[in-house]
Amino acid sequence: MLKFLTSRESGSSDPSLLRRAEVTRRIYSLELSKHRDIEKSNALGVVNALDIDSIENRYLLSGGGNGGIAIHDLEDLPGEDKLRYRQICHIPNSSINAHKRSVETVQWYPLDTGLFTTSGTDKELKVWDTNKLLPADSYSFEGIIYSHHMSPVSTKHSLIAVGCEKSTIKLIDLRAGSYSQMLKGHKSAVLCVKWSTRDEFILASGSSDNGVLLWDIRKAKGSIMSLDQHNGEAASAHNKVKTAHNGRVNGLCFTDDGLHLVTFGTDNRLRLWNTNTGKNSLVNYGSISNDGRKSLGISVTTGNCPDVIMVPDDSNLMLFNLHEGTRIKILRGHYNQVNCCVYHCDKQELYSGGNDRNILVWLPSTDDVYENCIKINSKEKSNFTSRIAATTDTWSDEDD
Amino acid sequence: MNRKRSLLPKFYKSKRRCLNPINGDVIDHFEGENALSINDMPTDTSFSLQYLRHQFPVEKFEHQIPPIMMKHQVYSMVENRTIVDKHLNDLREEGMIKILRLGANADELCIVYTEDYTNHCLNIMKDKNIETSIIDKCKETILKTCKDISVDTETLMKDYLFTDKEITHLVISSILTARDIGSYWISIPNAGFFMKTFMKGRKVILTMLRRCKYKQILQTEMEQRKWPKLARLGIMYHISDIIGGDLVQRHQTTSGYLLRLKD
Repeated sequence: MLKFLTSRESGSSDPSLLRRAEVTRRIYSLELSKHRDIEKSNALGVVNALDIDSIENRYLLSGGGNGGIAIHDLEDLPGEDKLRYRQICHIPNSSINAHKRSVETVQWYPLDTGLFTTSGTDKELKVWDTNKLLPADSYSFEGIIYSHHMSPVSTKHSLIAVGCEKSTIKLIDLRAGSYSQMLKGHKSAVLCVKWSTRDEFILASGSSDNGVLLWDIRKAKGSIMSLDQHNGEAASAHNKVKTAHNGRVNGLCFTDDGLHLVTFGTDNRLRLWNTNTGKNSLVNYGSISNDGRKSLGISVTTGNCPDVIMVPDDSNLMLFNLHEGTRIKILRGHYNQVNCCVYHCDKQELYSGGNDRNILVWLPSTDDVYENCIKINSKEKSNFTSRIAATTDTWSDEDD
Repeated sequence: MNRKRSLLPKFYKSKRRCLNPINGDVIDHFEGENALSINDMPTDTSFSLQYLRHQFPVEKFEHQIPPIMMKHQVYSMVENRTIVDKHLNDLREEGMIKILRLGANADELCIVYTEDYTNHCLNIMKDKNIETSIIDKCKETILKTCKDISVDTETLMKDYLFTDKEITHLVISSILTARDIGSYWISIPNAGFFMKTFMKGRKVILTMLRRCKYKQILQTEMEQRKWPKLARLGIMYHISDIIGGDLVQRHQTTSGYLLRLKD
C-alpha cells in the first residue's frame, strides 16, 4: 500500500487507483468479526431480509420470520471492548400493526429514511412511517408475497414492483395509493423482482417457471426479453420455451453499474447475464447449493477492481470473482441456512442473516488489529483491581 | 504477521520482472513456419484432455467404444472453470472434439475426439451393413461439420439432404437418438456399454468413501485400494470424475490431497 500512496503523492498514478486497491484488499480479507456484533433483537425470529439505507448507509433494517422488524444503527458503537451495533427501535410481532406471519422482504425508501416498506407471507405489503413506527398504508394481495422492490434510481416514478404467488407482477404507485399496472408473462409464482440500477424503467423478475424476464414498464404489451441459458442454441423444434435456469430462480441482483445481472437458481447454478443483449456470459461458478423455498438475497460489491459477488450457500457465504468465476473465499459462521446478505460499500463490511436467528458482521481482518488493541487497553485499566480479587482466597495456612 | 497469511488481490503481490521475454528472440530469428507463437501452443485444457484420453482403457472394452471423457473431469485438472469452458468451446468450433450429451441430466456432457468418433461410427455402420451412400453423407455432414449436441429433422432434411428412410437407418445404428417429435440427439453408438460401467464405477467409489471414518480419505490412499474388475474404467478416471463433478470436496493438506464426501 505504501507504494500506492507514494505514487499518488508524486502524481504518477490516478487517485482513484489507491482507493480501489485498498478497497479490494479489504474485501479479500473479510472475516467474522471477533470484537463487533449486532445487538440481538428479541423482535426477530429467523432473519429473512436485511437492507441498508442508501442515503447515509447508516441504518440496518431487518425483517424476521415471526413478523417482527428491527432497525439497528451502524454508526453508534457503545461499549469499550465489545463493540455492539445498537438496536434503535423494533416492531415486535405482538403489535397489532405488525405482519401476522413472516416478513419476506424489507426495503428502505431510496430517498429518505422516514419511510420503509415490508411484505410477507400474510399477503400484505405495508408502508411504514419510521418515526411513528406505524403503517401509513397497507395493500392486500391474493397470494403470498415473495419479494418486492422499489427502484433505487427513479426520479420519475415511485412504483413498487411486487412478486407474489400469482404469475402477474403488480406495480403499486405510492403517490396514487393503489396498483397502477400489471405485468403478465410468467407462468407460475414470481419469486424475486429487482429494478435495474441503471435505468429506472427496467425491471427483472425471476419465477418458478425457470425463466427470468426483463420488462420495460413503459411498453404496453409484455416483457422485452426472456433470458435464455443456452443463448439460442440447443433448442429443440417443438420446445421453444426459454429457460434461464434448470430450476426455480430465487435470487436476482444487478451490478452497481447496471450492465450485468446475476441470477441464482435451484439448479445450484449462478449465472451472469449482460443486461443489454440478454446473453448468458457463460461464467462457470461451480455448484452452489440452493434449497429454494424462498428468495435469497445476494449482493455485489462496488468500487473494487475484480467485482466480488457474495452468495449464500447453505450455511456458508461464498465470495466469487464476478467475471471470472473463481472462488475467492468461504465465510463460515452461521449455524443454519443463510437467507440474506448486504454489503456496506463505505466500510467494506458484510452483514448476513440466517435461520439461526443471528445477524453476523464480517469485517476486513485488517480492522481486527486496531480492535484488538482497544481491547487490550481496556483490559489493562481494570487489571489492577481484578488481580487482587483473583488472588485472594478463603483458605488459611494455619492448622486450626 | 497476519498479512502473510491473508488472501491478497493480484496487484498487491510482488511481481518479478521477466528478464528474457519468451518470444522476443524467437520471432526475430525464425520467421515463417518455424515460429511458435503464444497462440499456437496447446492450452492446459487440451493437454488435460489428451492425458485423459491416453488413460482411457480402450482394450478393456474390446475396442467397442472410443475414448469418452466427461467434461467435468477437466474441471478437476485446471483451476479456472470459465477458462476451461471457453477453451473447450474453441476446440469444438475448430472441429477437434465433439461435445455430446450422455446422461439424463442436462449437465452431464461428455467429450470425444472427432477422429475417434468418426472411426468408431464408420465401423459400426459397416457392421450393420448400411448403404455406403448413407455412410458417406453422414461422414461429411454429421460426423465432421455438425457442432451441436442435437439436430432437428428440418436441418437433417434440408441442409444435410437426408431422406426419412435414411434417418431411420441412422437411428438404428444409434448415431441419432430420439429427443422429442422434431429433433434428435447426436449420440455414441454402444454408449450403453460405457454408461453401465461408468455408473457402476461411480457407485463403487462413492460407497468406498461413505464407509470411511468421517467420510474422508487421502487421495493417495484411495488410489491404492482394491478396485473390482467389473468397473473397468479404472480408479483414476473415477477420482477425477467425482472431484470435477462436485460430489466430493478436495482439500490440500500436509500429507497431500484429502477427499471428503459432500453431504
